[in-house]
Amino acid sequence: MLENLLYGFTVAATFQNLSACFIGALLGTAIGVLPGIGPVATISLLLPLTFGMPPTTAIIMLAGIYYGAQYGGSTTSILMNLPGEVSSVITTLDGYQMAKNGQAGPALAVAAIGSFIAGCTATILVAALGPLLTAVALSFGPADYFSLMLLGLIVSAVLSEGNVVKSIGMMVAGVGLGLVGTDVQTGQQRFTFDIPELSDGIGFAPMAMGMFGIAEIIRNLEMPEVREALKTRISRLWLTRDEWKRVAAPIARGTTLGSIVGILPGGGAALSSMGAYTLERRISRNKHLFGKGAIEGVAAPESANNAAAQTSFIPLLTLGIPANAVMALMVGALIIQGIQPGPRMIEAQPDLFWGLIASMWLGNLMLVIINLPMIGMWVRLLKVPYDLMYPAILIFCAIGVYSLNNNSFDVYVTVVFGFLGYLFSKIGCPPAPMLIGFVLGPMMEEHLRRAMLLSRGNPMVFIERPISASLLALAVIAVVAMALPSIRKGKDEALAGG
Amino acid sequence: MRLRPDAQDIFAGVMFIAFAGVMLYLNFESHPIGTARRMGSGYMPMLTFGILAALGVAILISGLFTGPEPIGRFAWRDMGLILLALTVYGLTVERLGFVISLALCIGIASLAEKVWKPLRVLGLIAFMLALCWVLFIWYLDIRIPVFPWSR
Repeated sequence: MLENLLYGFTVAATFQNLSACFIGALLGTAIGVLPGIGPVATISLLLPLTFGMPPTTAIIMLAGIYYGAQYGGSTTSILMNLPGEVSSVITTLDGYQMAKNGQAGPALAVAAIGSFIAGCTATILVAALGPLLTAVALSFGPADYFSLMLLGLIVSAVLSEGNVVKSIGMMVAGVGLGLVGTDVQTGQQRFTFDIPELSDGIGFAPMAMGMFGIAEIIRNLEMPEVREALKTRISRLWLTRDEWKRVAAPIARGTTLGSIVGILPGGGAALSSMGAYTLERRISRNKHLFGKGAIEGVAAPESANNAAAQTSFIPLLTLGIPANAVMALMVGALIIQGIQPGPRMIEAQPDLFWGLIASMWLGNLMLVIINLPMIGMWVRLLKVPYDLMYPAILIFCAIGVYSLNNNSFDVYVTVVFGFLGYLFSKIGCPPAPMLIGFVLGPMMEEHLRRAMLLSRGNPMVFIERPISASLLALAVIAVVAMALPSIRKGKDEALAGG
Repeated sequence: MRLRPDAQDIFAGVMFIAFAGVMLYLNFESHPIGTARRMGSGYMPMLTFGILAALGVAILISGLFTGPEPIGRFAWRDMGLILLALTVYGLTVERLGFVISLALCIGIASLAEKVWKPLRVLGLIAFMLALCWVLFIWYLDIRIPVFPWSR
């Protein structure tokens, strides 16, 4: 492993990859600071720009955006009670209180330090678990793969916010949209309505950009703008010895919880930070301080969301299965680059796997520097009014989508999904499961066909193979568990911010 | 159970059923289903949209009792302007070139502001033109007509 990691560093330390990592981390911090634009929208927006890069460089940059956003998101939560990201909502509870008590400096410091420690730990975990899981995944047959994807889809729908049945519906609809285009096995055109542009299927980037980028702009426009100026002065940006003692255990617990939640399908940063806060509030010695500016209440969730942002790469890199919408975008980026994500990736693309891991570590280091001494710059960024920002985002979208194929058709697809994304938000249908279903749909069909061909049309193969059977059993347990009112209440509470 | 319709769930249920229905119809019309062993191109769509229709029915029925949850107001004007701006960009970029299209797109989108300030919009257009020129044309060198005459 050590040897491989060293190899990774030689890949990540080339000038091109280092600058990609830095740009990613910088952009990630910026969008993390800015409310109203999230990592999913940004990554889909920048996807077209990465086509010209080598795959490793592209993924390093896109990954930097994701974990960078976890750092940046905490800044506005603490200083202005305004979460920049969903994963930082929970940080407002104690972070803003600390700022009000004149402790903005330590709050910001602990968020960055916690994130750094968590990021480094999670990176090691990715390096250790990656090859291990890959070895397991290589023994999977088509039936096992199908069941694994089904489990992933179901768990991610179950864990997403709101009505579980609607999430599953969105996911299945996403699988259905993924069927549009040429059928790989028979070469037949499906649901293309004789439109030549549709024979390659619905574009992944236009769909993601419409549902997350454009719909987000419309939603932000209808909401009244609330931005308070910073009232507190930032004091010392470091921790006292006493504070170190208080946060050590919460950072460790947040990192552990975040790492585990990140690997789960549908997990990811938002869920982990809320889980970590809830856990900390229950077991901390300073329970009475929570909600009034407890430093533990900042340390634990900020460590957790960053750990989760890194470990959610594990299922992607080893099994080729995206755990959340950001990872679905990574699958899209890899496929566009001509790389099929899956268990053979570590062997076939060692540059990509080990380079990415090393870059995560370097990126975390850069982020501490980007965030702590340069905090003033980020606060100033918040003063850019939204009426100057949204036309800029829109035009980036338009140019980016057009340049995918140099074809206006993709722009119209974006318009359609922009409308749909806005509609979905009005009727309580989460768009993320649709994107994950869309990415996994074609792979599921292929594995289903292969499995059924091998079993001569006998569906029992899914229950007879032990791996497949246990994965399906887990999926059933997940659905049943969420149907139980007591567990569902717990999830809703955790997602609603405890 | 008392009838308490939930507009959001009912709308979502109907949407899923309608989508699945149309796709199932198209599927049976034109794609061979095949057998479980040798699946035709219509097999997976049949499964997928069959399940979607069933989920739609479940959402619709449960939506009759879980309400009331009204559908929030649609910001028609904002939505229309943003989508129109993007459509206009798509329609014009090949014929009129990137400079005019970009200006049109930003101009239309800016109408969604609460207070429309023409000078501010002009400034933004100028700034974005310069930025996009440097980034996309000069640095990334994407193939895009710049002026109406440059094709």
